[in-house]
Amino acid sequence: MTITTGARQSEAVTLRSVRRTYGTGGAAVTALDGVSVGFRDGSFTAVMGPSGSGKSTLLHCAAGLDRPTEGTVSVGGTELGGLSEHRLTTLRRELIGFVFQEFNLVSALTAAQNVALPLRLAGRRPAPEAIAAALASVGLADRGGHRPSELSGGQQQRVAIARALVTRPAVVFADEPTGALDLRSSRQVLGLLREAVHDHDRTVVMVTHDPLASAYADRVLFLADGHLVDELTGPGTPGDAGFAAEVAARMARLEA
Amino acid sequence: MLSWSTVRERWTGFVGSFIALTLGVGVLTASLVVFVSAQPAVPDRLAGAAVVVQSPAGGEDAESYVEYVPWSTERAEALARSLRGLPGVTAAVPDRSFYAQLVHDGRPVGDPEAGDPLGHGWSTAALAPYGLASGAAPSAADEVALDAGYGIAPGSTATVLTATGPREMRVTGTVDGPGIYVSDAAAVALAPGVRVIGLVLAPDAAPDLVAAAVRTAVGDAGTVVAGDARTALEPEAVSRIRWLGTQLITVMVLLAAFATVFVMASTAALNAYQRRRELALLRAIGATPRQTRRLLLGEALVVGVVSAAAGAALGVLAAPWFGDLLVRAELEPAGFAPSPSLLAVGPAVLTGIVVAVVGAWAAARRAARVRPLEALREASVDNRTMTAPRWLFGGLFGLSGLALAVLTPAVDDGSAMTTAIFSALALILAITLFAPVVIPPALRTLTLPLRRSATGEVVRESAGAAVRRTAATAGPVLLTVGFAMLILGMVKTMSPAFGGDDARTLGVDAVVTADGTPGLSDAAVDRLPGTVLSGLSTQVFVAGTARDALGVAPGAVPVAGDAGTLAAGTVVVADPRWQVGDTLRLTFADGVVAPMRVAASLPPEALPTPLLLPKDLVRQHDPSALTLTAYVRGAPPTAVPAGLGVLAQDPLDYSANDDEDQLVWLFVLVMVGMSVGYTSIAVANTLVMATGDRRRDFRVLRLSGATDRQILRMVGTETALVVLFGTAIGALVALPALLGIRSALAGQTGVNVRLIVPWLEVGVVVAVCAALALGAALLATRRTLHRAQPR
Repeated sequence: MTITTGARQSEAVTLRSVRRTYGTGGAAVTALDGVSVGFRDGSFTAVMGPSGSGKSTLLHCAAGLDRPTEGTVSVGGTELGGLSEHRLTTLRRELIGFVFQEFNLVSALTAAQNVALPLRLAGRRPAPEAIAAALASVGLADRGGHRPSELSGGQQQRVAIARALVTRPAVVFADEPTGALDLRSSRQVLGLLREAVHDHDRTVVMVTHDPLASAYADRVLFLADGHLVDELTGPGTPGDAGFAAEVAARMARLEA
Repeated sequence: MLSWSTVRERWTGFVGSFIALTLGVGVLTASLVVFVSAQPAVPDRLAGAAVVVQSPAGGEDAESYVEYVPWSTERAEALARSLRGLPGVTAAVPDRSFYAQLVHDGRPVGDPEAGDPLGHGWSTAALAPYGLASGAAPSAADEVALDAGYGIAPGSTATVLTATGPREMRVTGTVDGPGIYVSDAAAVALAPGVRVIGLVLAPDAAPDLVAAAVRTAVGDAGTVVAGDARTALEPEAVSRIRWLGTQLITVMVLLAAFATVFVMASTAALNAYQRRRELALLRAIGATPRQTRRLLLGEALVVGVVSAAAGAALGVLAAPWFGDLLVRAELEPAGFAPSPSLLAVGPAVLTGIVVAVVGAWAAARRAARVRPLEALREASVDNRTMTAPRWLFGGLFGLSGLALAVLTPAVDDGSAMTTAIFSALALILAITLFAPVVIPPALRTLTLPLRRSATGEVVRESAGAAVRRTAATAGPVLLTVGFAMLILGMVKTMSPAFGGDDARTLGVDAVVTADGTPGLSDAAVDRLPGTVLSGLSTQVFVAGTARDALGVAPGAVPVAGDAGTLAAGTVVVADPRWQVGDTLRLTFADGVVAPMRVAASLPPEALPTPLLLPKDLVRQHDPSALTLTAYVRGAPPTAVPAGLGVLAQDPLDYSANDDEDQLVWLFVLVMVGMSVGYTSIAVANTLVMATGDRRRDFRVLRLSGATDRQILRMVGTETALVVLFGTAIGALVALPALLGIRSALAGQTGVNVRLIVPWLEVGVVVAVCAALALGAALLATRRTLHRAQPR
């Protein structure tokens, strides 16, 4: 099934008939089987599915970390297919922000240096105030000089969000950003992601298996066996308990 | 910024590189300082002669030193006379030097080199210039002036040993420089041949102008040197010593460079491997492959600069000590003192930095290709340890090692040993490269008995599962133990087998050599009991080329074969270019040219020197000729009277105590010592880095009820096991090779050769490896456990 949301030209990320198979011959595994989906500018989408459903592969292909076997991906209006590794990297640097589950930060650098890293890699020299502001926006104004080992897991994820947003990317991809966090830290992180979308007009695509986390999104996509199988639209209140229950019910049905 | 921060924060990952590189640059700096300082110098005793005329250069001798064909006494005196008349020349002194040594209480004093004798004619003292410290110059035949350092006052008598024997002489004066000075008339008899005429110039004379005038006067009768060119006057013995020192320095520098690159490369590879998630993260958030590569090379550069600086400081500090050591080992001339210069330190520092970057190059290239996706995946079990080059080179070395081993019995005796050695080296390298494949299954089999205890089970499994860590630890141990055992055992087995040749074939009961003198005097040889086989060593020139010759008496020839045909005026040759009946024109040490008929021609390997001459002829032409080795038949070593620098040994002891062998042994010990040092650094470094990575394992073990003590014991056992295992495999590869070498030797020399494995040295090698590995692993574990304390 094909899900299209909104007008084409305002989509931050568009996947068209994306197939991704791993291995060859009899051992070949199809992780994505012809998925077409678009993510509108200024939207917060959660991608859910049982393990092995292809949700991580979808994220990797959409983010240019993995190349589809068939189909096309475009980010911010640029087709990723056929780009060199170097061009793909610089494109990622300009258009895409990442928040991973763990190991998000370079351990040798302070929080502030981590936030500044994408800009410095792009050859820019960010103003210290800009970095301080980015840290302040995730509530860590006083932690800029700390190394990751001196921060809690939730604080580390917040630094990662600040880093993902500092380049003003077209889209932020989050891969189980709350997977390793306690409930309170999870809420903070999800709140920040939602804030990025609604207050700062960013686009966020989040892969998760946690219905509570996906209840912070505006839209939830369900994947199973490499196909998009379902979609729910949220009520607009962050972490709505009823919506979370509805998502959980859908998931239970998929896993059954 | 990132490179610097990373090095500072993750210092455990760089400490191994840092130590290896600091030591490497230290060795390089000290060696270069010594090397640069050890340049030829104008000998002190000729320093006052601004212009020097040398006798014509002959061809190079067997060891490529230029030898000078001496002038005869008449020729030298005539030349000196003609030079004395030149403007600006105040003195022209033929340098007459001969073997002489002071005897004190029956023992020769000092141990002068044969090529740099102490005996001189009195007038040569003016060339230094040395003056009288007290008393008067020698003028009669039995008068002598001595170096004031001997502490013998004028008026007393001193025993002076020359090539013919000891002589009582009256001391007329003391001199403020080294040497034993006799009257010029006596010196003519002791040193009839002259190779150098020193010119003392008037204070206002310009050396260059005088040298030009001298050149015209001398023509092609000699070579004129002035100023710095006078370093050509350095005695051959001194150059030879320095050459030996340079050889050792070269070996050390090459070994240090190779080992440093090896340690750097393996550390960089492990470091990049451990950090692949972080590198992948960088790639994901926008670092291009080129930026990633630059990051790693930048880190190497930081480490390189810091440790090159530290190493240079270390090397400069160590250089005087190193120089002293070389002097004591007789690998640098006495009085040698290294002085640091930019010429030595600069290249050392630069090399260190280049080595650091080159060592990290391959790892950086590989790491830069890390896919950003790997940041998202949980670290999987270690399985990609065998890289393509490992397979390739491991296979190549393995195959060639096996091929050589198969070939060993087939090749002829001469090359069998070389074949065996190369076979063993290739096999050791192959097994080291294959360590990741070979070690886990072998280790698992070897440790079956450990299965019974719980900690034993964990030890077994973790050593087997962490292929990379185990291979990185056992590999260098294997390499070092195998290499050390092979080289040490080979040298120890070979030296008696070879050195004993002469004594065995002659069937003698004692071998007499000189101890404290460069050779035996006639008096010392005459005192020997039994039948004495000996010869006077001298050098003659045939068509301008220096040849070693032995002066022998028929019936007492110290070589196998027949010299009975040797009569007065004839020569026995061992050089296929000369035939029986030919007449050779020989120039002797006294500059006299005489035609000699070839009485017999032998195959080259039959004689120790190319020429055999009648003994009295040699003594007549070379008053300084000495006997290097005398063989005694019919009397045990104990029957040989002591004194006059005589050292009598059993033929077997003699062959084992050869000077040359001791030098080889020193070289080998230096090589093995440095290899062990570097291996230990590599092993300790691997363990420190790998242990830090096991924090999670330790936490799980603790949660499962293991005490810290149990964890430490586990890590200790595992490390000991891996070291033991490396040792066993190293020995397993080296021993058959040694046996092969033994049988090859036996075939070559025709006698039964004993296999000698220097267990002590090999034991020390293993102990050092084990101690460092255990220390590093346990310390790192303790630190990790401490850090992993639940908060």
